[in-house]
Amino acid sequence: MWFINLSLLSFKQIRRHWLRSLLTIAGAACGMFLFMTVETFQDGLKNATEMQAGDDTLVVYRDKRFCPFTSRLPEDYSNKIAQINGVKSVVPVQVIVNNCGTSLDTITFRGFPEGEFHNYFAGKEIDSTLFDSWKLASDSAILGKEFAQRRGLKAGDRFDAAGITVRVSGIMESDDPQDQNTAFVHLDFLQKSSKRGLGEVTQFNVKVNDHTLLDQVAKEIDNTFRYDREPTHTRPEKAFIANTAKDMIELISFTRWLGLAAVLAVSFLITNTVIIAVRGRVIENAVMQAMGFQMEHLTWMTLAEGLFMGIIGGFTGIASAYLFLSTGNFAISAEGLSIVFNIQLETVLKASILAMIISFVAGIYPAFHSIQGNLVNRLRSH
Amino acid sequence: MNKTLISCQGISKVYLKGKQEIIPLNELDLEIIQGEFLALMGPSGSGKTTLLNILAGIDSPSKGKLYFNDQDISQLKRRQLTSFRAKNMAYIFQLYHLIPVLTAYENVELPLLTHRMSSKERHKRVCKALELAKIADRADHYPKQLSGGQEQRVAIARALVTDPPLIVADEPTGDLDQESAQAILTLLKSLCTDLNKTVVMVTHDPKAAAYADRTLFLEKGVLITGDYNVVH
Repeated sequence: MWFINLSLLSFKQIRRHWLRSLLTIAGAACGMFLFMTVETFQDGLKNATEMQAGDDTLVVYRDKRFCPFTSRLPEDYSNKIAQINGVKSVVPVQVIVNNCGTSLDTITFRGFPEGEFHNYFAGKEIDSTLFDSWKLASDSAILGKEFAQRRGLKAGDRFDAAGITVRVSGIMESDDPQDQNTAFVHLDFLQKSSKRGLGEVTQFNVKVNDHTLLDQVAKEIDNTFRYDREPTHTRPEKAFIANTAKDMIELISFTRWLGLAAVLAVSFLITNTVIIAVRGRVIENAVMQAMGFQMEHLTWMTLAEGLFMGIIGGFTGIASAYLFLSTGNFAISAEGLSIVFNIQLETVLKASILAMIISFVAGIYPAFHSIQGNLVNRLRSH
Repeated sequence: MNKTLISCQGISKVYLKGKQEIIPLNELDLEIIQGEFLALMGPSGSGKTTLLNILAGIDSPSKGKLYFNDQDISQLKRRQLTSFRAKNMAYIFQLYHLIPVLTAYENVELPLLTHRMSSKERHKRVCKALELAKIADRADHYPKQLSGGQEQRVAIARALVTDPPLIVADEPTGDLDQESAQAILTLLKSLCTDLNKTVVMVTHDPKAAAYADRTLFLEKGVLITGDYNVVH
């Protein structure tokens, strides 16, 4: 019971210096906002680059090339690849981007043959009716949901990017980050519109019969074209993304330290505020001790102060980050590959628990400080 | 005839200030009876506040025995002493030491927050204490909205709310004007006569001491006279 009574008293103490408390809460909110954003970046990165059990897609790219503009492979390679043992399907893909560098608003066109729809999206839960209208016109484009929301596009709209004009035939939802920021178009349309010419593609997406065959098939593909005019470099899809967008990934990985710094800053900020508050209440604490408050009572009151500020600030930051990231549809792209920053419930939970832990930890030293010293001396300290 | 509430037997307090040994109390014997209003007087550094702190269980004697209701409290550990204070004593300070963010009601309620008690019972006790201290009409006021005398009344209500047998007061009227001081002293006196509380008060003011049943003089840690009634 005292637990609740003294918690309410702590809350009143927070209101006592409302400006200082408000600034601390705002600081904690900013810190947790930054932490959430960084964690979401890390999740997006993990999602895009970490292989999952059962991943069975290889990407065949021009050897020693990274930007889609420079990878030019003959489309008829697909026949030879299809004959390799262990290959389930081959989809030739043309990729056109409006910006090959790192950007927050890259537009990526991916063209694939009309008949390869099921092979391209094999293993993904995609609304197949979308493709009924897509097939009807050669300039149709199906947009990933994130991309459409970011650009404010809907079915029936026309848009122009990288010199290509398309009509939106539908909006697609997919768990794959690469699908969410892409406009899917007809291969021959893209080849013609991009003036790259028919018969030339950027890459091949190859499905294997069994994911254990990925390395073996990749080697065999590269061996097949080793002495051709356009040698290839074949990697599992996630490894391809990790390698191609290496610079961007290093940059995002670095932000982990920012997240850690944000958490430490929140902790130090709360500790500082609580310790200042406690130092200003030496006599009050001594008076309470004189009237029979035990150590645990005073300790809890100080801890509760840190907890209140940390939790209010932390949860405000988490909620703001949630709104910001979930409505902003953020994605960063490089070399035509995207890392999507979708906020995960797991991240919200992790940040909430962390906010509570750091708020508690932040109050430990001030709580210890509040019960130190001789009672008689503290009563005389005015 | 009231029984003895506090019995001090040869209590001394010794502490070191640098290399110098300070003895604020030296082999002091004293008995205080239930319902008594006792004033402690003496020059600065005579050991009045040290004695008051020891009687209140805030400080422990270095030597000697201190009995409270026949229980030896001189050997109690810190935690036991805190529990003892919660049940048996209340402290009234010269500067009131009310919590500024709490109303008069909430300040009086404060000592009860750690007690096992229903909120209804707590409310009853707080209202009763405010009535006894004649400050019920200011229950919703914050300390900064009260005069010094009213603040001290709230402090007295806070002291009464746990219904302790002993109330110690360290110069309770030292910061008040004459009129307020008289009202507070009358109130303290009534606690002894009407509620049978024992009040031990440190004061420099002979007029304040005149309200007490008995006044003791301390000098250099020793009682100059055993019993000395200033008034009578």
